[in-house]
Amino acid sequence: MSVAETERVIVVEPPPDTRGPSSPISATALWLGIAAITAVLGGTLLLQVNYAVSDRVLTPGCVELRLTPDITGALNVCNMVDALRSSAQTLLLYGGIALGIAAMVLGWGIAKRMDSFRRREQAVTGAILGVQAVVIALVILAFRNGRPDLFAKNFLNFTVLGEYFPGPFFAAMKNTIVLAFVGEAGGVLVGLFLALLALSKRKAARAPARAYINFFRGTPLIWQLLTAYFVLLLGFGIVPSSLLVAMGVFALNTGAYAAEVFRAGIQSIERGQMEAARSLGMTYLQAMRFAIVPQAVRRVIPPLMNEFVILIKDTALIIVLGLLASQYELFQWARGGQSDTFNATFFTATALGYLAVTLPLIRLVNAVEKRLQSGLVGIAGAGG
Amino acid sequence: MTPPTGGVPMPAPDKEPLIRMDGIHKWFGNNHVLRGVDLALEPGEVQVIIGPSGGGKSTLLRCANMLERPTLGSVWFESQDITDIRTDLNAVRTRMGMVFQQFNLFPHMTAISNITIALEKVLKLDDGEAKHRAMEQLRHVGLEQKADAYPGALSGGQQQRVAIARALAMKPTLMLFDEVTSALDPELVGEVLAVMRQLADEGMTMMVVTHEMGFAREVGTWMVFVDGGVIAERGRPKEMFANPESDRLRQFFSKVL
Repeated sequence: MSVAETERVIVVEPPPDTRGPSSPISATALWLGIAAITAVLGGTLLLQVNYAVSDRVLTPGCVELRLTPDITGALNVCNMVDALRSSAQTLLLYGGIALGIAAMVLGWGIAKRMDSFRRREQAVTGAILGVQAVVIALVILAFRNGRPDLFAKNFLNFTVLGEYFPGPFFAAMKNTIVLAFVGEAGGVLVGLFLALLALSKRKAARAPARAYINFFRGTPLIWQLLTAYFVLLLGFGIVPSSLLVAMGVFALNTGAYAAEVFRAGIQSIERGQMEAARSLGMTYLQAMRFAIVPQAVRRVIPPLMNEFVILIKDTALIIVLGLLASQYELFQWARGGQSDTFNATFFTATALGYLAVTLPLIRLVNAVEKRLQSGLVGIAGAGG
Repeated sequence: MTPPTGGVPMPAPDKEPLIRMDGIHKWFGNNHVLRGVDLALEPGEVQVIIGPSGGGKSTLLRCANMLERPTLGSVWFESQDITDIRTDLNAVRTRMGMVFQQFNLFPHMTAISNITIALEKVLKLDDGEAKHRAMEQLRHVGLEQKADAYPGALSGGQQQRVAIARALAMKPTLMLFDEVTSALDPELVGEVLAVMRQLADEGMTMMVVTHEMGFAREVGTWMVFVDGGVIAERGRPKEMFANPESDRLRQFFSKVL
């Protein structure tokens, strides 16, 4: 065999260029999207403010809608409706829809041809904002073609709050927080006790704890409130205070949920921790107290805070027991105001009241969770 | 009552052993993990336990301090039957240190607190004495400068040395090591083995489950090969490495050496 035969001719073909063409336009889609959402949301808001602050009188159109001067806050409602039905608003909505569609088409059209991730993200973000602008604009269009006057009169007429705000409102807000806090604090104690029973290796200790937990998790809170009240009133012949019954039932109910949280938290600690503690001669209770529970507590804080947020909302159920006016919490404050004035704006205000409490709490939970995810070193370092 | 003991019979001991395990059987459900194991260890001796994974080595070691209670058989420690239900196991365990594969340091405590917690809560030493003893042990394993570090800030080898110091601080008469280098990066194995070697040189009685064959050969007084829940072969490490008698041990060596 000759050398020439064994030699191979290696043809080097250039690899195909798999890149698509790059688009000349880059940030335009993002700006289109921002413009669309600004026109729809910002423009609508600006119009509302403009109509609200300018000196206007009840227009004939409003009087036709039966927004007569004898109705509390008629002018405010009139301003809202007029702003919504103005030609400026029409322009904003249709303009917003046009811009939004343009952003969608352009954004998704060019996203794949961008030459950097940042630019691709900008294009896609523009398209997403476009979708949001179109959807919101369509909803506002449909709304103003219905009876925005009736809705605004009944749900957005904050003038009717009158003497119910701010004094009684903030008193109610305080009552809501106190009610939820007492319930949660009691629930944590009940829950810790139940969790230790539920973790027992002896069935005789476990069974009643399981039965309790399943019962309270398996029946509606509203049923528990009513039953507790009437068992005390009729069964035991005690005339109970609604507030105390509610606090007790909230504690018992939250206890069932908190027990599961504690149990999961304790069980999530590696088995080796208990074995290490026991191999050093610690008793089961010492191992729990010094090694397991301190680690478990850190893991159960976020879910327990979530339980607290849930309980804040569930305090509304106390309405089935009825309260004295001085004991009103947010929901009953709204119900009281609504039945006095025949106006549901109280419920809108109540929602804002709940959000004012729950939103900061939810943010706090997320912050704590993030902190805990960064590992035990971080917490331990910060704690000690 | 006791089923027949499997494997190689144990030679009669010369002296009173520090720990003696007689006819140990262990079932996990239907799984018969230990099938009659005898083991005895005199003060100052190092018993190395080798064998394939799943063979029962770790279970055997965990039966020594009753982290697993033997289904049958008895464990005698310091002339006391600790399988007797009336035994105060917590008191026994203070005299029997154990080091784990996964270190199992308490992550929410500093290195020194990991050591002092049991000294204070179990041995009831006062704060100063516990700290003094803990620092002494940290110095022993070469980590006194890491006393205030949390386990998360230590390397695997350092954590394992703290775990050894934690066990030693109780002043045990017997140390149990359960594959203590298996979870370590290769470059960190040496520092832990060095501490164990030093401990053996100082005369500590040790039971060591390990895959480190070099350590087994040089440090072990006795070696057992545990396979299928029985001691398949026992003897002096050097002789066993030089002349393995059974086919199973020969096969095992061919895989690990």
